[in-house]
Amino acid sequence: MKPISPSSLRNAVVVFLVIGILFLAISGFLRPILGFIMDPLVTAQRWLSERFMAVYDFFTLPRNVTELIQRNMELEDEVANLQSQIIQLKEQLREAEILYSLLDFARSRPADEYIAAAVIGKDPSPFLQYVIIDHGSDDGVRYGMPVVIQRGLVGRIDAVTASAARVQLITDAGSTVNVTLQNQRADAVISGSITGDISLEMIAQNVPLNEGDILLTSGLGGNYPADILVGQVTDITKTENELFQSADVQPVVDFDSLRAVLIIKNFQITNISPLIPAGAP
Amino acid sequence: MIAYLISVPVMLILSVLQSTAVSRITLLNGSADLILLAVAAWGVRERSYDVFIWALVGGLFIAVITAMPPYLPILSYGFVALLSRLLFGRIWQSPIVMLILTVLLGTLFQNGLSLLVLQISGMDADWMTAVRNFLLPGLLLNFFLCFPMYAVISDLRKWVKPEKHYE
Repeated sequence: MKPISPSSLRNAVVVFLVIGILFLAISGFLRPILGFIMDPLVTAQRWLSERFMAVYDFFTLPRNVTELIQRNMELEDEVANLQSQIIQLKEQLREAEILYSLLDFARSRPADEYIAAAVIGKDPSPFLQYVIIDHGSDDGVRYGMPVVIQRGLVGRIDAVTASAARVQLITDAGSTVNVTLQNQRADAVISGSITGDISLEMIAQNVPLNEGDILLTSGLGGNYPADILVGQVTDITKTENELFQSADVQPVVDFDSLRAVLIIKNFQITNISPLIPAGAP
Repeated sequence: MIAYLISVPVMLILSVLQSTAVSRITLLNGSADLILLAVAAWGVRERSYDVFIWALVGGLFIAVITAMPPYLPILSYGFVALLSRLLFGRIWQSPIVMLILTVLLGTLFQNGLSLLVLQISGMDADWMTAVRNFLLPGLLLNFFLCFPMYAVISDLRKWVKPEKHYE
């Protein structure tokens, strides 16, 4: 039998020692010793790494700023695009809401036939209360047709071209509408003015007029259909020596934000001018 | 000739702008008048007959849109053109002062004539209300817009008539 050489014995001892140390390390018995050795190393490495990253950032920062500026511009562009999309969508939503409300109104009065039109302009003269709509004689719009929205009476068609029409609002100084008080069923007349204010006139002194009274079209005169909401009585003027009392009227329609209107297509205008005696006011 | 021709698209654009946007921007009841400002701005730069064509074209476009009698805008803008021609070179040779004076007198004439026409046609149009609610706010808005309009029309004029030297 060959005797074991001292070098082989040394190697075997080293292998056993390594295996033993590994076993102890895996078992966790060496953790305090390793911690004692590794902690200063880790601390030193952390310190070095922080300094290195600071130096690295110092040298690479200008490039990052440029990239950030570019990225920021891209994002700002994207935000601007998205904002414009939001505005467009809000606008479409608003139009859809208006059209839905007009549709509801049209459904509530099934006897009438309507043409829906968008308001595209206003009379250039500040003294007149007229709007321009985007439907004309090609779409069946005719002179004198009443114009409404879901809230109430707007006016009537004053002039027509093939593709557009002009609407005289009830706030115009040249506009008069026969109305009736909803509660009293008393007839009266509303007139517009150059400032766009509406006044209630020709209402008999014995009619009990109250603020908040609702005014509807009476249908008299044949220019407008009956029972369309016009406005509310606001400020009453009653003088003893006057034949009639008068009042200011708050219209139900906001004429400044008029976007779309309905034209009553099947309303037959009655021309009563031959019946009015000559010389009558 | 090009000065005449260019008046058509310019006045068309201004009429559309006036009807769709400017008429809706009101101070009390008054609003600015882009056509009046354009005619005045064109007229104060040179003593020529171009300005009458501009007034006529602008007046015709507005006459198509408005419910006022058709002669009223033509007369109003014609007066502004005449005024700018009469005043040309008489006020310290300064176009800006002349522009302000033309806009002032033109707006006064336009509002006065409109009110007169409304009164003749039987509408209840009170002079005091007209001055307070229409004339003064309208004048203010016209003064606000007359300088940008002057700048735009001056550039246009330089482009249309490049042979002339303007200060």
